[in-house]
Amino acid sequence: MPLPDWKTTRRGFLGGGAGAAALTAMAVPLNAQSPEPEPLENYAPEYFTAEEWQFVMAATALLIPSGPTPGAIETRVPVFIDLQLASEFGTADDWYMAGPHDAGADPLLGWQSPLTPAEIYREGIAALNAWCEQTHEAPFAELLPQTQQEVLIALDEDEVPLPPELRGLFELLLQNTKEGFFADPKYGGNHRMAGWTHIGFPGARASYLEWVDKHNVPYPLGPVAISGERG
Amino acid sequence: MITFLRILTGLVLLGLIVLAAIIFMPVRSTPALAALPDDYTPPEGSGEYVMRLADCSACHTAEGGVPFAGGRKIESPLGTIYSTNITPDEETGIGSYSLDEFRAALYDGVRQDGAHLYPAMPYANYRKLSEEDVRALYAFFMEEVEPVSNAGPETALPFPFNQRWGIRTWKWAALGKAGEVSTTGDALYDRGAYLVEAPGHCSACHTPRNLVMGEAGYTAMDGDFLMGGEIDGWTAPALRGPDSAIRNWSAEDLKLYFASGRNNHAGVNGEMQLVVRDSLQFYSDEDLDAVVAYLRALGDPTDGDNAPPVDPPRTIDRLDTAAGGTEAVLTAAEPGMALGPRLYLDNCNACHFVDGRGADQVFPELDGNPLVTAASATGLIDTILNGAEVPSTTVRPYSLRMPGFDHRLSDEEVAELATFLRSAWSNSAPAVTIADVTARREVAEERAAAE
Amino acid sequence: MARTEAKKDVVIVGLGWTGAIMGIELAQEGLEVLALERGPDRYTVPDFRYPDVIDELKYGVRMGFMQKPRNSTVTIRRTLQETALPYRKLGSFLPGDGVGGAGIHWNGQNWRAMENEFTLRSYVEDNFGAEIIPEDMTIQDWGVTYAELEPYFDRFEYVLGISGQAGNVNGQIIEGGNPFEAPRSRDFPLPPLPNTYDSVLFADAARAMGYHPFPRPAANASAAYTNEYGMQLGPCNFCGFCERYGCLNYSKASPQTCILDALRRMPNFSYRTNSEVLRVDLAEDGQTATGVTYWDEDAQEEVFQPADIVLLCAYQLHNVHLMLLSGIGEPYNPVTGEGVTGKNYAYQMNGGTTLFFKDKTFNPFIGSGANGLSMDDFAINQIDFAAEGFIGGSYITAGVANGQPIRGIGLPKGTPSWGEEWKTAIGEWYGHSMSIGSHGSNMAYRDCYLDLDPTYTDRHGRPLMRMTFNWKPNDIRMTQFMRSKIEPIAESMNPDTWQSSYKAEGAQYDVRPYQTTHNVGGAIMGDDPNTSAVNRYLQAWGQHNVFSIGASAFPQNIQYNPTGVVGALAYWVADAIRKDYLPNPRPLV
Repeated sequence: MPLPDWKTTRRGFLGGGAGAAALTAMAVPLNAQSPEPEPLENYAPEYFTAEEWQFVMAATALLIPSGPTPGAIETRVPVFIDLQLASEFGTADDWYMAGPHDAGADPLLGWQSPLTPAEIYREGIAALNAWCEQTHEAPFAELLPQTQQEVLIALDEDEVPLPPELRGLFELLLQNTKEGFFADPKYGGNHRMAGWTHIGFPGARASYLEWVDKHNVPYPLGPVAISGERG
Repeated sequence: MITFLRILTGLVLLGLIVLAAIIFMPVRSTPALAALPDDYTPPEGSGEYVMRLADCSACHTAEGGVPFAGGRKIESPLGTIYSTNITPDEETGIGSYSLDEFRAALYDGVRQDGAHLYPAMPYANYRKLSEEDVRALYAFFMEEVEPVSNAGPETALPFPFNQRWGIRTWKWAALGKAGEVSTTGDALYDRGAYLVEAPGHCSACHTPRNLVMGEAGYTAMDGDFLMGGEIDGWTAPALRGPDSAIRNWSAEDLKLYFASGRNNHAGVNGEMQLVVRDSLQFYSDEDLDAVVAYLRALGDPTDGDNAPPVDPPRTIDRLDTAAGGTEAVLTAAEPGMALGPRLYLDNCNACHFVDGRGADQVFPELDGNPLVTAASATGLIDTILNGAEVPSTTVRPYSLRMPGFDHRLSDEEVAELATFLRSAWSNSAPAVTIADVTARREVAEERAAAE
Repeated sequence: MARTEAKKDVVIVGLGWTGAIMGIELAQEGLEVLALERGPDRYTVPDFRYPDVIDELKYGVRMGFMQKPRNSTVTIRRTLQETALPYRKLGSFLPGDGVGGAGIHWNGQNWRAMENEFTLRSYVEDNFGAEIIPEDMTIQDWGVTYAELEPYFDRFEYVLGISGQAGNVNGQIIEGGNPFEAPRSRDFPLPPLPNTYDSVLFADAARAMGYHPFPRPAANASAAYTNEYGMQLGPCNFCGFCERYGCLNYSKASPQTCILDALRRMPNFSYRTNSEVLRVDLAEDGQTATGVTYWDEDAQEEVFQPADIVLLCAYQLHNVHLMLLSGIGEPYNPVTGEGVTGKNYAYQMNGGTTLFFKDKTFNPFIGSGANGLSMDDFAINQIDFAAEGFIGGSYITAGVANGQPIRGIGLPKGTPSWGEEWKTAIGEWYGHSMSIGSHGSNMAYRDCYLDLDPTYTDRHGRPLMRMTFNWKPNDIRMTQFMRSKIEPIAESMNPDTWQSSYKAEGAQYDVRPYQTTHNVGGAIMGDDPNTSAVNRYLQAWGQHNVFSIGASAFPQNIQYNPTGVVGALAYWVADAIRKDYLPNPRPLV
């Protein structure tokens, strides 16, 4: 009986001298269910205003910059954040939000702001843009990248004067940005699983018994998404 | 529950040939196989037990309905057949049936009013029931089952299949002799033969059909008996012969499969899930031993080799992977691998592992699994698309479920994956086409929409 | 308006591990048993179905299987003087809800405690003198011994199909197992899991230093298994999604995989989901319970459920909360030291060292919840408390559980947390680090306790429970001791760089980062009604038909993950009820 096709395909590829990157990208066709989405510049945000959207685009581009591999913009992290804020995460549906609130309490006691994540973005971006206007005469999104970088560092180091209930802005933004880079693509970010590919995380395969004892050998196979899309 | 299309087609052919003579001749019912005294009382509990042996509830209970009140929908390409109410309700059930009328339904497929029953009712097998068991069943339905008034929908097949007199001609050609079961004189074998050939009605699905669409054999003496059939497009695997996977199963494996729907090789699928859920799990330990002894003694009628092969040793060390073949391709996890094995790693490997051996009693083997390698890939495709479930049973209460992958895999991908499975490890079965998958997805969608 | 349901023999609050065990054991007695579960029902399929459950954002980060603080939470303060504030979003600990409880989303580390942990105060006094016990430390004996619990540890391990290697069978030391463990009556039901690279590197280094590494006892099956109820497990495939997730693979022991489908078949057992118990109702004289009142989420009404026996099988925090709300036991007063309910809340003192290797690849996404190698060379029974200046101990361990990227990628100290350098660093270091952890005991203290909050209430208008807890010098000394033992092991492994994270002097409890869901105490067991809330059979001292089962009974925390002890206690109580209480309902002590 001749060998079925699946047993010989790989030899053809290797014989052609294709590099590992090409193999990952081309050997297995992408799942047909994942057409290319709307380009970011045409995206109509569910939650953000235009001004907020510009801020999130600019800020996430600095938090996870583009480069030889995709960054926050190419992986559509701003879309992820927008959709999260429009969902039960944005409205803190699961959290205990009853008062009284002591937003200025010791940070070790955890989230004490009366505001939901969506409200923190709304008020926080406005407050930060106002501060940028005051100190740099333009909203964040219109500043030079170097200045934006300085503003983010200042925000990270608590040097931008924000009221205590907005204190969590930077941490929230950074956390959501990383989530958008690494969460399953079904949430709108991690486009083409580029976040996973960047670090070598195989995604929703979750099946490795035969690899447990392959010590100190890099696992070669690219990621798969919950939808079945292959990277 | 049988393949109606083929049966009914054969039925129509015959009906046309001997049309006129048979319509008006009165029907004579088969008499009792033994004369029991009029005051014969079946042993306590035997009625319900025989009902379990014969699996009456599976067909005569609607999904989520009152037991035995009928109305279960049995889809066929020619129309929907509805099972009848067999509770002792006088109007809508069988409450007014005499013992003889009850026996006539079981043995001859004849209703109280003389109409012929569609052979969805396995009277071809029930006509071998002992008189003791007929009495036990009669007593059970008349005395232990609560009457339920449920007229249920009438079966209304389109012409010519609605001409029930045609069934009579089919019976003449297709039915075997009442009461005939194989015996060897060995008590265990003989009990097993009775259970399989009579109440268990295994051959209704597991025996191929002959030219007139009757079962091609009714006892172990017939060469085609239990050599594999088809049900709802799924293959009902051969229980004997060179292609029978269960010949490689130990007695213990066979018994556990019947008692729990799972063993070291496989989990029940398709219609067999209902058989285990409603019938086999209630067989007594002794009766299961008898069924197993009988099936193992059937052996291979083609070469006379009755010795079951020895199981290969099983290891729990799943890391001890072999050097070549499918296992090596899967283990290497090379990005350039073909789509079939890639889909296996992304979807199947989590439970069935690179050696395709699954896990004892939990995850079915795919290497050598009759569902995977069946002539018709319907069962395999349906399982990939819709998942599977083994029923909760007394000895293994866990209703283990495999999720369906219909939302994750396209038709093309299911075809690739199924083709891979059918040629992986030691499997060697023909490829599956995209059209095969598309057709089964449509069936599943239609069924979901109908619910 | 409250409706009243038909009376049951037994009502169980919470259908997690202890609820499922008590349910099946008492249903086997023929009793009419009802379990009330505040969360939803959960089945492997569809609730943990593959691949949908492999969703780090939904379950690992947004905590899809955990209780929602909006529905149920606590307030927290570090000192008696501080104003407690609500634990508004989950962080430090993650109580579950729904059928299966925390039993669905644990890692499966299933330990027995050491013999001396059950008699800790006596052990310290007898061996080192009462004077080494700090004035504010309120450690106690449990009122039950290891020897008494051994058959129940064994039973629980065989129900769960634990993978492991015995080190001490009836006093005989077995090569490859834990030579310091308490004697067990037989080996584990399943052989140990295979080992990941990090754990082998750790064990080799530890062995070279004369230590005794052994496989961690894991409730992740190493092979197919069938337990006494006919329930089944499949082999763990090292999916890397264990803790916080329901097991997609029927591999992690949980009420679902080990008990529930068998229990559901019993006609005298039933359960109601979305039914949160609000209080235990007591008879007029307060000497017995008459049943419980619960909130029926579907009907949006309160329901009184009468029962002869009330079993509190909820999470530790909720057992104590219900007792405080229902007047079961005198509330503990930290000023006078009097009262029992809420007393001795304790947590877990953990630390760890992370090692970075440029030239080693760990594939961290290949992991199970509890695989790994551990050593007990500095366990609580191996340390001279007087000489070292602390009471306690830890096991030391390595073994990958997951490589989920949102939950964190270990990076060398000094790496920025965002920007170009961060992005480059995660590309370079993901899969090139490993950790050696210490998992240690936490003693009980006079001012670490649980009571009702004066300000905040839940959605039913009940006061939230208030947790008063902080780290104490004794336990910080203990974890610093572990640091001094782990760092030499780490250095001997020649990493490119390494860094440590252990609580240091002055450390304050931080509720934000996840630490562990090993909250214990508050309804502690003991042999004196003046110092414990329940007796040695976990029976309320004042209401003999109320049993409070779970880690709430721990008088202080053991050095191990608590589930093994919780399970053993549940079987111990079930046995006492079956054999002793049912024939003659009364206070068993």
